[in-house]
This record gives sequence, structure tokens and C-alpha cells, in this order.
Amino acid sequence: MTGSRIFRLRVAYQLKGRLSLLSHLEVTHALERAIRRSGLPFALTCGFSPHMKLSFGSALPVGIGSECEVFDLSLTDYVAPARVLERLQDALPEDMRPLACEYLEENAPKASCAYPLSTYEVKLSEALPALPVPRTITVMRKKKERELVIADFLQGEVKCDGDAVRFTLVSKDTGSVRADAFVGACLEELRTQGKTPPRVMSITRVALES
Amino acid sequence: MENLWSRIEPLLLSVERPSRYIDHEWGANVEPAGADDLTFCMVYPDTYELGQANQAVRILVNAVNATEGLHASRAYLPAVDMIERMREEGIPLFSLEEMAPLDVFDVVGITLPHELAATNVLEVLDLANIPLRAAERTENDPLVIAGGPCAYNPEPYAAFFDVISIGEGEELTPETLLAIRELKRKGASRTEILRALAQIEGTYVPSLYEPVPGDEIAEAGVCVRPLDGAAPRVVHKRIFEGFSESSAWEPMVVPYVEVVHDRLNVEVLRGCARGCRFCQAGMMYRPVRERSTDNIVGAVSQGLAETGYEEVSLTSLSTTDHSCISEILSRLNCALVDTGVRVSIPSQRLDSFGVEMAGLVAGQKKGGLTFAPEAGTQRMRDAINKNVTEDDLLSAVEAACAAGWRRIKLYFMIGLPGETDADALGIGQLAQAAFDRMRAATPKEERGSLSLNVSIALFVPKAQTPFQWDGQIPKEEALRRVSLAKSALKSRAVRISYHEPKTSFVEAVMSRGGREVADLVESAWRHGARFDAWSELFLEEAWSKAAEECGLDMRAIAETTFAPGTVMPWNHISACVSPQFLERERRRADEGITTPDCTMENCAACGVCPTLGVDNQLEGRRS
Repeated sequence: MTGSRIFRLRVAYQLKGRLSLLSHLEVTHALERAIRRSGLPFALTCGFSPHMKLSFGSALPVGIGSECEVFDLSLTDYVAPARVLERLQDALPEDMRPLACEYLEENAPKASCAYPLSTYEVKLSEALPALPVPRTITVMRKKKERELVIADFLQGEVKCDGDAVRFTLVSKDTGSVRADAFVGACLEELRTQGKTPPRVMSITRVALES
Repeated sequence: MENLWSRIEPLLLSVERPSRYIDHEWGANVEPAGADDLTFCMVYPDTYELGQANQAVRILVNAVNATEGLHASRAYLPAVDMIERMREEGIPLFSLEEMAPLDVFDVVGITLPHELAATNVLEVLDLANIPLRAAERTENDPLVIAGGPCAYNPEPYAAFFDVISIGEGEELTPETLLAIRELKRKGASRTEILRALAQIEGTYVPSLYEPVPGDEIAEAGVCVRPLDGAAPRVVHKRIFEGFSESSAWEPMVVPYVEVVHDRLNVEVLRGCARGCRFCQAGMMYRPVRERSTDNIVGAVSQGLAETGYEEVSLTSLSTTDHSCISEILSRLNCALVDTGVRVSIPSQRLDSFGVEMAGLVAGQKKGGLTFAPEAGTQRMRDAINKNVTEDDLLSAVEAACAAGWRRIKLYFMIGLPGETDADALGIGQLAQAAFDRMRAATPKEERGSLSLNVSIALFVPKAQTPFQWDGQIPKEEALRRVSLAKSALKSRAVRISYHEPKTSFVEAVMSRGGREVADLVESAWRHGARFDAWSELFLEEAWSKAAEECGLDMRAIAETTFAPGTVMPWNHISACVSPQFLERERRRADEGITTPDCTMENCAACGVCPTLGVDNQLEGRRS
């Protein structure tokens, strides 16, 4: 395959409804099968067991939806972005609908590391004027408990707007804090202040930034 | 239909792999049932991971949905964590498509895929709020139908089902459901419906039969007999005569969660006439029917395009026996070049042709190869009619290693009728000889990566086979013979593993038991037995307590050997292989005489073709 050009595209898609219950691995399998169904000229890796050249954005925990997931797809032929989008839309269910796609510069970073910042929106069962943020959070890493300082991962403030809460988390090489764990810790903090915390109705990733 | 989703959804974040319970997969049916449709829910009595991959469930759901006036949905038994949460919340078992409780369906179908699913059948019914026993069901309960391999000895399940379908369901299931629909429209009662269904060929309605008193069994030739003229004395299996001509592309749901056999399956042929005397599948899927090369190659292309799968498996009982297999694989290789799609064949024929075919699909990546010599000595292989020689096996492993394979797996059975210590030792000796041949055929510097895995299973006597009269050996004896086999091994790279004898023992009880075994199953389930096929969930104690409670001697059921010709509990069910053939084959086993495969040599007079009015359907000459 030496010398043949590879055309790399980034596709943005949503993950909604029941499909937000898929694990990251299930999403990647589903996308790979959809790309095969789409009939697009996808590129394969070389070697003993060739597989599709794909790069996925950071994993979304089970139960969290998204308006802005991304993956990178490599094609062996140029296909107009509008056509790519149409083919992928035909091969995917509405709850996983591709929203946009564009070709990438040759040296553009992969989807897996292009967006360290994720903004989430949480819907609560009732409105809150403000959400208290604890100083640390205990997370499980490789079956061990680890205490992380939230300030290292929370970018900016936690904004409350009626029953909606918005915040931005940064993922680092050394680790990251899951959005659902973060909200849980904040609601727990509320409980330690003697208040009854509302229930989490949904969590959605609403923006990715580099 | 009531939709339970709003009650199910809140549970899903607290259970493992929630994507099993959400429906909405690619290819899932989105058509709602019509107002006049008879509604049918097809249940696989184990988790989604096993059931979604099941070809029979897929075929039947498709066949029913393709029939005007019928509507089929799917349901699986949730995993233990989900079952517990559902019971806490009072949520009944639900269909995936409608998220509707099972007891609102007109008919519930449950497949009986293997002998260890019996307690799961009760778990399904209980979780669905359907009375466990057919006799307890009222006009408002669904009709509960069984089918599948274990229906060939239906007696241990008889009490739990209103109807049991024998044989292939492509036509029988829609036919049965249409008949129910007509009768329901006319306002027929449950009893009237059951009596009418008993007239459909291949249909067994257990409630229309009574046990024959012990001293009359030999003369009657059956253990249960019709109460009156509404039911036939012997129920013959049905086959799908249009199988060869029908499309090999069976539309399928593409699951989100990883399931077993997570790939496109294309059924290339049905039936196997090799005639291994222990094998139930070899008896019950006769005659042999091949699909054409064009049909198969076309189905692979269409199936891949519609599912997006990256692997396709050519399934059947003996795929490399297809008369055109070489042409099929060559054409697929051309069609799939540069797509990254892998082709797989479930198991290899035990000769160099089998290895050659495996080479055609393996490409550059050589995983493992699996062969099933089944027995360790020629005497024993002749007795079971496994028509392969030691030389066949040794040349097959030699060819495999010469072609680049390094990992080989061998399947054996222990406790086969007439087995001696020499035969058990022979398993180890044959494995050692195979490994020595593997080494010789492999370059010195690569010998370190050679491995030979020997898997030994305890013989389970199966209904409708020549060995149906033979008892299983006791568990302790099985372990002793496994260690004999082990003692004959010298190389440490040869590993022996064996299937738990305690679960094989329950399999034998379910395989050979009569009507009385239903009480045992129910009692075992009440003592907590379920998911018996999952070794980590198998509760031996539940079964022994149940046996005590019911006063049943499980060992007698599993281990008694009867004279060939003795009337067995399933004599009123026929796979259309004649009783005379089974007896003759049993006798030839003792005499060490083999019987040829009728797709390659002469007819063995098994009786299937004349009884069903069919023939083997081959696409070319087999060799």
C-alpha cells in the first residue's frame, strides 16, 4: 500500500436515548459495523489480521449521553463529506446519528487525544441555586481507591440554571474524573450539609474542546 | 400491549451490560403487531449473549413475522443481577421489541437447546407470571410451546408445556400459530385448541397422553399413550423440505453487546450422515440437504452488506463435507479480498482435506485448529462409527503444522459404551503420538510455541441414537479414566482438560428420564437451581435435595444400561430413524463393524428417506 493516499475524516455523532447505555467498546463495535454497512472505501491496517483504521474520542461512561462524540475514519478514496455523512446516517440508528464530518489535515491530532476538555450538562429532578463542590473525590483505579483533588480536573465553575447544571472536566494523562462520579460527589456534599439532594435525571456531554 | 420501559430503565444503571435489555439493535423489528395478529414471543431460556446468537430463534422469529396474521417478538432470560432487581421491583419478564410482559402474548415459545436448560425454563415461566405447569394454566394464560433438540425426549418437560413441536420449525411453527389464530377467532377453548393442534404433524400435546402401566410397556411399545383418538400414537418429526432452495441469508439482528459466535452465520447444509453412534444431531437432522454455491456465496455478500460484520462462519454439522466446499471457499476468498473479513468453519474434518480447507480460509493468521477423534483406539472408534484412523489424525496434524498452525485442540469422550482401560489409556497415547508428529512437522526453532489441548467430555447417552440404551459411567469412574488418559502423556505441552462430570450427570438424567423427572426439575429449581450450564452457578446440592424429596434415583436414570430394543420414555417420538436401524447400529457397535456415510457410499437403511418421502439433496459428488 506504499504511496497510496489515505483520506482521514473526523465524524461527529450523537449518542442519545437508550443507546447512551452502551459501553465505549460497544459503541466502537457498532460504529465499525456501521462503516462496513455504509459501503464507504474504508482503509485497513496492514499485517496478519487487518482491521479498520479508526480512532475514537475519549470514552463516555455507560449511561451518559452525548451531542458531540467524534471518531476518525480513514478512506482509501476521496468521497465528498456530504456523501460520507449521508452514507453513515443511512447505516446508523437515529440515536447514534452522525451530525457532521470533515477531512483532517495530515498532521492533525487523533480524535483520541484532540479534545482534553469535556463539558457536561446534568438534568436534576429539581432546581438548585448552587451545587457545592467537595475538595477531593475518591475514585477506583485498577481495583484500588485513589483520592483525586477536584481542582486539578474541574475547569472553571459549576453553573446552575434551574434544574440544569453545567461543568467542564479536563482529562489528563495521569487520570480523569468521570462526570457521573463528579456529580455524585457534589450531591453527597449537599447531603453532608444536611440537605436532601435531588436525583440525577440525565447526564449529557455537550461540548468537546482542545 | 403494556410497555414496561419506564419501569425497566431505572434499573439499568445498576446492572451489568444494560445494552442487553434495550432492544433497538440494528435489524431489530420495528413493526408493531397488527390488531388482528396472533402474538408470539420466542424465548431463549438463557441470557441474551447466548440466545441472540442462536440460529433457531432467529429463523423462527423471521418465519413467523413473514407470515400474514402473525407477529413474533424476542425475549431472553436476564442475567442473575437483573432478575434479582426485577423481582424486587415486581417487573415481569418482558419481550424486547414491545417491552411487554410475556403473559400478554397469545403464545410463548421456548426453545430447549440443551439438557441443562430445564430449570431455566421454570425461571422463565415464573418470572413471566405464567403457571409452571400446563395443567394449572387457564384460558387467560398464553399457550406455551417448546421445540428444539431436547424435544426428542420431551417427557422431563412434558408437564410444563401445552404443546411440544418435534423437528424443524420453519413451516411447523407458523402453521401451528395460524391454526391457533383461527381457533381463537372461532372462540375455541384451550382444550379444543390443544386437541386440534395434536392433528398437525410433528406436534406433541403431552396432556393428551397418559403413562402406560409398567407391566404393559413392553407390549405397548411406548411409555405414554394417547388418551383417545385425538392424538397420534407416535409423533414423527417435521423437516423443512424447502431448505436447500431457501435463501441462505437469514436476516439477523446485530447485537450491541458482544455475544457468543458474534458474527454472520450462513447455514450451508443441514444434516450429517456420518452416523456417529453417540450423536443425536446426526440422527435428528437427517436427511442431508446442501445449499448451492451461488446461494451460499450470495448470502455471504448480502449478509455482510446488511449487518456490517467482519467475520462470517459457514455453519452446519460438517461444513467441509459439502460437496462444493472447495469452490465455495475459493469464491469467497476472491469476493472478500481486501475487505478484512474473516471466514471461519466451525470444526475441521479429520484428514488432510480438512486441513487444506482450513488453509483456504485462514489467510496469514493461523489461530488454532480443532479435531474430534472422539476415542483413543481404533477398536473404540469403530465401535462408535467414527470413521477415522490414527493415520488420518496424524497426517492431519502433520499437514496442519507444516502449513503453519501451532495450536491444535482434540476432542475426546470418556465412558463410551464398551470402553476399557486400554481405550482410556489410548486417549493419552494418541494425543502423545499426535504431539510427537506435530513436533516432527515443525521447524526446530518454532517448536517452543507448539501446544496441544485435549478436551475430554463424559459420554451422555442421548435419545434417538444407537447408544440410547447405554448408561453413563459413574462420576468417580469417569475421573479415574481421565487420570488413566493423563498417565499416558509425556510432554508437558499437552494439556488435558475435562468437562465437569457432575453437570454431565444431570444432562444424562434429563436426556433419559421420563415424565417423573418433571417433579425433579421443579424441585431442583425450588431449591435454587438455575443457569445449570454455567459451571459457576451450577448447584449440585439443589439437584440432590430434589432427588431425595421426589424419591427419585438419579443414578439409576443416568447409569442403567438396558438391552437394545428396550422401550424407552421417548418411544412415542420419532426422528424418523427406524427403531430397527438404531438396534442394528447398537449391535454393530459391539461387533466393531462400521456403517458407511450414505452421502458417500451405499444407503444404510436408516429409514428417514422413505418415512418422510425425501432424499439426500447434494449439489455434487462428495469425497
